[in-house]
Order: sequence, then C-alpha cells, then structure tokens
Amino acid sequence: MAVSDTRRVLPVVRDESALPYEHPLYRSLLGVPGLSVATAVLDQLLEWGARNSLWVFPMATSCCGIELMSAAASRVDLDRMGTIVRATPRQADVMVIAGTITTKMAPRVKALWDQMPEPKWAVAMGSCAISGDFYRNLYPVVPGIDTILPVDVYIPGCPPNPEALMHGLLRLQEKIKARTGAPAPRDPVLAAAQLAAAIAVSSNDRSDEPVGEEQELLVQAPDEVPFTEIASDYDTILREQFAVGEFPADGAPIIPAARHHELARTLRASGYRQLVYIVATHCKAKALGKTSPERYEVAYGLRSLGKGSNVASWRVQLEPGASVPSLVGLFAGADFQEREQFDLVGVRFDGHPDLRRIMLADDYEGHPLHKDFPADAPCAPWR
Amino acid sequence: MTEGLQSARRGAIDPHLSIRHYDADADLMLLHFGPQHPSTHGVFRMDLYLDGEVIVKATPFLGYLHRGVEKLCEKLTYVQQTPVVDKNDYVSPMINEQALNMAFEKLLKLEVPRRARWLRTLLAELQRLASHLLWLGTFTLDLGGALGGGSTLFLHCFRERELILDLFEELTGSRFHYNTHTIGGNRHDLPAGLAAKVEVALAAIAARLGEYEDLSLGHAIFQARTKGVGTLDSDLALELGITGPILRASGVDHDLRRDAPYHAYDELTVNVATEHAGDCFARASVRFAEMRESIRLCRAVLEGLPEGPIAASKAVRLPTAVKIASGQVYVGIEGPRGEIGTFVIAGGDTPTTPYRLKIRAPSMHALAAIPYVMPGATLSDAVAILGSLDPIMGEVDR
Repeated sequence: MAVSDTRRVLPVVRDESALPYEHPLYRSLLGVPGLSVATAVLDQLLEWGARNSLWVFPMATSCCGIELMSAAASRVDLDRMGTIVRATPRQADVMVIAGTITTKMAPRVKALWDQMPEPKWAVAMGSCAISGDFYRNLYPVVPGIDTILPVDVYIPGCPPNPEALMHGLLRLQEKIKARTGAPAPRDPVLAAAQLAAAIAVSSNDRSDEPVGEEQELLVQAPDEVPFTEIASDYDTILREQFAVGEFPADGAPIIPAARHHELARTLRASGYRQLVYIVATHCKAKALGKTSPERYEVAYGLRSLGKGSNVASWRVQLEPGASVPSLVGLFAGADFQEREQFDLVGVRFDGHPDLRRIMLADDYEGHPLHKDFPADAPCAPWR
Repeated sequence: MTEGLQSARRGAIDPHLSIRHYDADADLMLLHFGPQHPSTHGVFRMDLYLDGEVIVKATPFLGYLHRGVEKLCEKLTYVQQTPVVDKNDYVSPMINEQALNMAFEKLLKLEVPRRARWLRTLLAELQRLASHLLWLGTFTLDLGGALGGGSTLFLHCFRERELILDLFEELTGSRFHYNTHTIGGNRHDLPAGLAAKVEVALAAIAARLGEYEDLSLGHAIFQARTKGVGTLDSDLALELGITGPILRASGVDHDLRRDAPYHAYDELTVNVATEHAGDCFARASVRFAEMRESIRLCRAVLEGLPEGPIAASKAVRLPTAVKIASGQVYVGIEGPRGEIGTFVIAGGDTPTTPYRLKIRAPSMHALAAIPYVMPGATLSDAVAILGSLDPIMGEVDR
C-alpha cells in the first residue's frame, strides 16, 4: 500500500470569516459628518461590554475539557470576570477549543463555529488544539485547530492549568480592547507540507542506540518467557476436549478457526462469562517467528468471576483474506470489539450482523493498524 | 442469531434491526444526540428514534476522539508509553499508567518493591476517589435544575477533587497527567509531610460525603429521576463485558482488587459493595460506597506503608533501556470504570518497541449497553442513563 493511498484527501474549505467583522452599514455611516465621533464612543461601549461578558462555548473534546470545567468550578471561578459557560454556540462569544480535534470531529467544529454570532473569538487551549501534540503525525488528528478557524489566543500546556486558561482569557480581553483581529487560518496545504518536512527531519534524527556515558542499565527480559496464564480448569478443557497437547511458549494456545466458536461456548458454560478482549494483529512475514508467513492473529480473552478470577485466552491464526467466526451470538459485547478490530486491522468476522467501521469515517480507505500503513501519515489536507 | 443463556432483555431487543422494522407507520422523530452536547461527557453521539418523548431505538456512534493511540504505541519504546496512556482515561491517569506498566513488568518478570506496590495502591485509591467525585459532580449537573440549581453538587465535588489534585501536584509536579509510574516502580516518592496532607484531605472529603449523599441519594427528585431508570440485569451486563461499578450495581459480586489481587490488595481487606436493582440509582449507590471504601483503604495504606526503595532498578531514563525479546501478555486491573487492561505483543522488528498494544477500555463495553437500556426510557432519562454509565470518550475511542 503506497503512502498516498492511505491519506484521505478532504476538500479544503476556505474560511471567509477570518477578516475582522464589519457591519454592512458601517462604511456608509462613516461618511456622515460628525457621526464617527459618536460611533467611536459607541464602539468603546460595545467593546467594554464584550470583553467583560465573554460567554464561553466549551468545544471540549478531551482532557483539557476537564480543566475547563475546573476553571468554571469553585476554586478558580471564571464567573468572577463575567465569563460563563454556555452550551449552545448561538449564545456564545468565545469558542474555547479544549482537546484533540480529529478529522471526524473537525467538520462539526467548523459547523459550530459558523453558528456563533459575530463578533466572536477563538481560544486554542492545550497542545492538541494548538498543534495536535504528539498525535499530529498520526492518521486521524488535525494538527492544529488554526487550520480550520482563526485563533485569537493560544494557551500552551498539557493540559493548561485553570489559572493559565484565566490568563489566556485576560489576554483576550486586552486584545478586544486593542481591536487586533485574529490572523487568517493557516493554509491547510501549506501546513501539511511543513509537517511532512518536519517528519522527514525528525525521522532522520532518530537514533535508537544509547551514546557514550549515557549508556545505562538495561532492563532485559529473559529470552524464553514461558506463557503461564493457564488456569487448571481451562487447561483440562483444552487438553481433553480440544486435544491441545503442547502450549506455545510465546503466547496463548492456538486454536483452529473452525473450532474456536465451540471453545468460546464451552468456556462460557464453565464459568468464563465475561468477554475481556478481542485483539487482532497483522503480522508481517517472518515477524514473531523466523519462518512464519504473513498472517493475522486474533487473540481472545474470557474472564471467570469471583475469587481467583482468571483469564482464559486463545489465539486464532488466519491467512490474509480469511475470516474468523464472530462471537456476537455468544457475547453481545463482541459487537463493538469486532467492529473495532475490523476497522483498524482489517480482519473480517463471519456472521457479525453489522460489520462496518466504528472509529473512522465510513468512507475511510485502509486499515491503520495494518503493518504496511505508515506510522507517520498525517491526514492531509484536512478541513 | 443469539445462542442460549441469553438475558430476557437481549432476546427482546435486536440493535441491528432497521428502524423500519419497528413500526412502519409510527411517526418517529430522529434526534442526533451529540457529538457536541454537554451531557455526552465528551464527543459521543447517539441517534435516538423518538415516539413523542419515549425512545424507541438508540444507536451509538463512536470515534469522534479516535486519536490513533495504538498506532502511536507501536512506534514508541516501552519507556516512552506512559505519558501517552495518561491521556486515554483522562479522569484516572494514575490507573492507566499502572495497567500499562504492570503489563510490561509481567513480560519482564520484574518484581516491584513492596513500598512501590503500597504507594501504587495509595495513588490508585486517591485517583478512584477523584474520579468518582468528578462523576458525581457531572452526573448531578446532567440531572439538571431540580437539584439545587443543578450546579450545587458540581461546585462542591470539584472543590473536593481539587484537594486530591493538589496532593498529586505536590507528588509529581503535575495536576493532571502525572507520568509517575515507570517500569519496575515509581518515579516520585512521597515528600516529607505529604502523608499528613493526605490525611487532612481525606478527613475533609469524608466529612462532606454524608452531606453529598443527602443531597443526591436522599433527595426525592434525584430518586424520582434515577430509580427504575436504565435497568441493566446481571446476565446482560456480563454478556456485554461490562465491569466495575456498573456490573456490581447489577448484582454481580466481582472486583479484581479482591478476586485477583495485585499491588498491596492481597495484604489489605477490600469490601466490595453490590446492589441488585441495576438502575441508575443502584449505580450511584455503589459509587458512593466505593468512595467510602477508597477513603478507608487510603488510611490503611498510610498506616502500613513500608520503608524501602520505590523502584526495582535504577530509575530508567533512556528510552531504549528496556528490551523484551518475545512474549504476549494481558494484565487487567480495577479502574474507576471497571477492568482497564493492557494487551501487549512483544518482539517483532525491534526489542524496544511492542509489536501490538491494545488497551481494554471499560467504558467502551459500558456504551455497548446503550441499544439495550435506552428503549422505553424518555428523552430526559437518556441523559441520566448516559451519566450513570460514566463513559470517558478518551479511552473509548483511543
């Protein structure tokens, strides 16, 4: 799979609202003799009102949203400066973008921004909103909200303290007083090119070898890590009903795809009633075993309840293109898990009633956890 | 399609049926709830089909905060992963870090010193307390104006949560994303005088918890909004893979701290609270009991905290200092929302990075209950049910 295939090309939407707001009548009224003196006073009055009652629309997606809540709560109390949180964009003056914006969320952010009445301001809170933080090189994350809308104030931090948010809002008040507009949004195409150049430089820089005196104690696992996680009742089921004699040293027992559904049903009947995980892995040829071919491995875990609770786990190995029987009939919780593994890894589950993407957009192409999908593949250009 | 041992609820509701299947003539309204809504606790969306005010069908949609964490973890070395998982369940970063590092320690067969295990227990219980306080504040905010203007308990709970964040800030230097756990131990030992401050904070919270219980569980409107709403029976909860307080509120007596002890829990007694009603009220009561239990456990840990080193080896600083040749492991521990786990496959291209890393998110299983518990409830109940499931989208979407 070539790099270009994995990038989802989105149409670039230019933002016309980047220019400072001007009422349609403003210019013609300026021509009336003496009126500009009166409107200057009126302007100042409006600015005073605007900056002392900044109503915040919390575009809170992740961690920064919790700090935004802390800032609105008892200790910092943003209400003191006339800033209250309004949950609807139509009543808000400031959009605080608190958290990571993904490509799936970005069109919604833009729609909400467009619903806010003028005059309006935007505050990018935290590293994710500013630049995408350490997710910026990854496929689903927008590297900076300022490629979508004009940002007035940037508040760095991960997440910024409530005090930092308050400082940011005070700076915004100064900005409103001084009437400095926000710069136009960054050009998404240009930003993508800059990011690609930065990735190229940083990947050349990376060296995994410790140098000189920095060489320090290495914590190293023993070469043979025997897999010991097999409880006695599970061991009996495997040996007597599924004729598994030798357990592999590097992981859970391997069960043929044809019998795996039967194993799950047997385990559920003998007390392993909780679905813990379904993990699919794409293994390249010669990965995890010198002679192994390219394959998918799907690992399952079921948990028993009560005292001495343990996990019964097994693996199913699949050739590329093969599929594994779904467990949705046995465990309702397998529904989301199988959809996630299908979406991210590309394994198909037979008999799943609704096998479609869950994390990424329906029209996304490629499976990001497939080993051929590049780790540094920012989605670009984005909207 | 479903096979045997099914709960009655699951037999009655098939979430995959088209809406046309329900009632072709019904004048149903489709309401997009989220992804940006103050009661969705992040960016969660569900499509609600409404007959008047009653929900006929609910379909959840995830992925609005999918950040590609698992792809990022394949790129980073074992030492570099801790700050990344902090951001998954961003209301309990301490427990995320523990679940991750315990998986690596299990692969390395590394013994964690006794003091570090006790310290981790203390941090986990404080974090659980902070997380439940945040849940209580936002849950009562969701329930709205009836409870003393809605934001009374929100403001109170955040005041108490700040006490715990102050302790964490003094310990690690950060209010929020701590990066204090590492492979084989902890980075930060308790500074002088912090134990006394923990006692003070615990006393303050314990003193006010009764008042909060009166304001919520004892409040007639709170009871009317939560009792009999969003009932989840134990069979369905187990089938969905639901863990933690939600499972215990449905009558299943299961807690990994007691049943598969880790840290110092085998040396302490953990009392597990259960309820049988399985509704929003039961989930709230279980979380209240867990807060009391966490306070008790924190005090017990402070009393018995042993002396000694807090890390198995010299503090790991280089990103490439940990090498694992091969192996595959799963570790699950009890977080505030249920079993939070890490599945790692080591080996592959380099010995310093995992080949595959998957985070088991309890909230994702909790959200799988939505198609089953929503039908029959009213639109205002939807907010109460979602709040009582306490999802954190950071860990659902990753």
